[in-house]
Amino acid sequence: MSATRSVAAIARADFLERTRRYSFFLALLFAMFLGYATATGKVFIQFDEYRGLCTSGWIGTLVALTITCFVSLVGFYVVKNCVERDRATRVGQILAATPLSRTGYAFGKFLSNFAVLSTMVGVLAIAAVAMQFIVGEDSRLDLWAMLSPFLLIALPTVALTAAVALFFEMVPLLRGGLGNVAWFFVWNFTLAAPIWSKRGWLDPMGLIAVMNTLGAEAKKYAPGYRGGMSFTIDTGQHITVLREWRFAGIPWTWEYAGLRLMWMGVACAIALAAALVFDRFDTARVADGKKEKPRKARAAARDAEVGEARAAAAGATVHLTPLVLPARVHAFGRLLAAELRLAVFGLRWWWYAVAVGLLIAQIAAPLEVSRGPLVASAWMWCVFVWSGMGARESRWGTRALLFSCANILPRQLLACWMAGVAVSVLVGTGAAMRLLIAADTAGLLAWIAGALVLPSTALLLGVLSGTSKPFEGALTLAWYVGAINRTPGLDFTGAANGAHRTTYAIAGLVIAAGCVAGACVVRKRQLGSA
Amino acid sequence: MVASKIWRRRNGENGGETFGAEWPYLWTAPVVVWIRDDGGMMRLVVEGLSKTYRGGVQALRGVNVALKPGVLGLLGPNGAGKSTLMRILATITQPTAGRAVWNDTDIAKNPDALRDVLGYLPQDFGVYPNLNAMEFLDYLAAVKGIPAAAARRRIAELLALVNLADAAKRPLGGYSGGMKQRVGIAQALLNDPKLLIVDEPTAGLDPEERVRFRNLLSELSGERIVILSTHIVSDVEAVATEIAILGHGQMLAHGAPEDLLTRVNGKIWEVVVASGDLPALRAKYLISSTAHRSDGVHARVVADAAPNGAARALEPSLEDAYLAVLAEQRNGAAAGAAA
Repeated sequence: MSATRSVAAIARADFLERTRRYSFFLALLFAMFLGYATATGKVFIQFDEYRGLCTSGWIGTLVALTITCFVSLVGFYVVKNCVERDRATRVGQILAATPLSRTGYAFGKFLSNFAVLSTMVGVLAIAAVAMQFIVGEDSRLDLWAMLSPFLLIALPTVALTAAVALFFEMVPLLRGGLGNVAWFFVWNFTLAAPIWSKRGWLDPMGLIAVMNTLGAEAKKYAPGYRGGMSFTIDTGQHITVLREWRFAGIPWTWEYAGLRLMWMGVACAIALAAALVFDRFDTARVADGKKEKPRKARAAARDAEVGEARAAAAGATVHLTPLVLPARVHAFGRLLAAELRLAVFGLRWWWYAVAVGLLIAQIAAPLEVSRGPLVASAWMWCVFVWSGMGARESRWGTRALLFSCANILPRQLLACWMAGVAVSVLVGTGAAMRLLIAADTAGLLAWIAGALVLPSTALLLGVLSGTSKPFEGALTLAWYVGAINRTPGLDFTGAANGAHRTTYAIAGLVIAAGCVAGACVVRKRQLGSA
Repeated sequence: MVASKIWRRRNGENGGETFGAEWPYLWTAPVVVWIRDDGGMMRLVVEGLSKTYRGGVQALRGVNVALKPGVLGLLGPNGAGKSTLMRILATITQPTAGRAVWNDTDIAKNPDALRDVLGYLPQDFGVYPNLNAMEFLDYLAAVKGIPAAAARRRIAELLALVNLADAAKRPLGGYSGGMKQRVGIAQALLNDPKLLIVDEPTAGLDPEERVRFRNLLSELSGERIVILSTHIVSDVEAVATEIAILGHGQMLAHGAPEDLLTRVNGKIWEVVVASGDLPALRAKYLISSTAHRSDGVHARVVADAAPNGAARALEPSLEDAYLAVLAEQRNGAAAGAAA
């Protein structure tokens, strides 16, 4: 009874803490917007160029699928901070000194993650009911057809996301930016795997049953249906609404419902696995995600003890020499060097080795490969260097120290941004040289826009959010969708932008300037209210 | 035109002088011009400072105080508004009303005028765990605009001063709480500040380090203004040249330590009671401390008159004065509420 109460208390406190945060409210608003866009036909599932009438079954299935995809990707980043917060606030150390078990803690946090994400799903489910009447294509409300996809498709996926987010937080290697980036690829894999394999039991998001059911109906109602199904954003393409296609909802079988509930079980198993690797806030075991080498740590401790004893003896005689400074010193070069050092501190030798490798490859590879995937990958490699920009002060609690220094706003922020730009220029120089030699002015302009827009966006997102996650998520998405899948407008290297390369480059430069200006405005407001 | 009268007057507070000159005009009243010379001395004047946080919590209510070089010990219970006052004076929070003026400059309007000469140690602060103490201080020196050579010398001195010279190359992530606090003290002194604001600086320091820091503050206070906020009355007693007591966002008392002690002169008594009688005594009087001895409990009582015939008058301490000021405020508030 006591253990159950502890788990419930952990879950409740964490849920309340998170749902009272502004970021939760924003995520909820965005989820609602997505639901609205789905129900009003801005985001829709189309079968070739057809869709069915907006019945309860159609809207429920559609909105549930949309929110499942959204929550499983973005929701992961929303909830992947519950253990991190307990570490940062040191509440974890208080909890660690109580009889609370690892399993109890992990399960409480899992329940909180699940509750936070389920709240989003719940709000969307209620909104979906309202949407049927707003859209007004069918006035007959079938609550089971409308809500069952939320219960049996969305909730198991949400549980899985909640558990994986917790597991990532418990594993030191996945706790930071690497985990944030890795999740994007894991998420992509879970979307694609069931479609390749055609196996229902390998489908955590529940897409296969929906595809099969709706595909079979489309064959019945759509003339010449060729078997395609896609999530589409309305860009003005022609869609035929088949009024006779009145989707009555997913015909749930015991077997399929059981498969969906199995994912709930998998989620619980992952939460238990998270408990197994949980360090119980033992700072001696893990320091900032890295295990200290015992011999080195012992030596450092011994040095410190000896040193402190020696210094204590001598310390009493130390006096400070008055500091004589020139009337006005800016030392911007020093600050820039310091910001650059800060940006790359903690990176291991292999990071530099890969960066140099990518640089050499840019010089050696054919121009199209060099300016496209290679420079994109080189910049993607810098994601953790940039994602700390503007967020470092909040993350490590140095805001009060920095914000009480003179001329901090133009100097430190500018130095931080220039350090970020220096990194993008350094790692992408190979491609720039190739473009210069080939006298490709438009290509070079696109490269410059890319080199500026990435650190500028990082700075704005970092200053705004105080965390590295938004930029890590945004760059991963832009890299995969834009640069690797060559989506015009989203490709920050400019290689996929074809004839519009110059226009996109100018737009990129404007966005970069806007981001830097935005970061300055936000930081100026923070300076007076830290 | 020749002035008909010239006055010269010594300013009592700051040691500077005020000059006055009068030109007589036939058709108007005499024109008087005053020129104030502060003797190059720095001043921090706080006028009617108030701060109300979102949600209506009033942290400061019309605080007034004028500071000159020396150490101001800022005392007050939890939530009294000490940290809010310090954050406003450190230019990182804006007041809702009133102003703080550093050498004739409103720091809310022109914060950089103060930041150039400010050293600030916040109550809660963090460090970059991958940097070592030397790198971290060098980074902050660059942010503060200190040239490289001067920064190197200063950092070496400061690390020796705070006893971290031999741990200077260890990553800060492995430092203990007390060591991080000492890094915080070092960063506050980086730019040889004219105004040093330290919020709970001795939290986490061992007794030896606490004494060392108090001595350092005394040494530093000669030519600068130091504002020291703490709960530890003995720290203030050791170094403060002035004391301010905040309660519920209001300035309850401000003056020299002797002035505060005078307020409770003749009001401190030692009463010896049996252990069982202590709760009754506590209910009736303000007790600043107790000590169990073989003859009973020796209670230090703050009261206008002797609690009983056997009570012995004692020399007041600053802790007695502090508790008496807070008790006065509580009683005043209770009387106000009852009325």
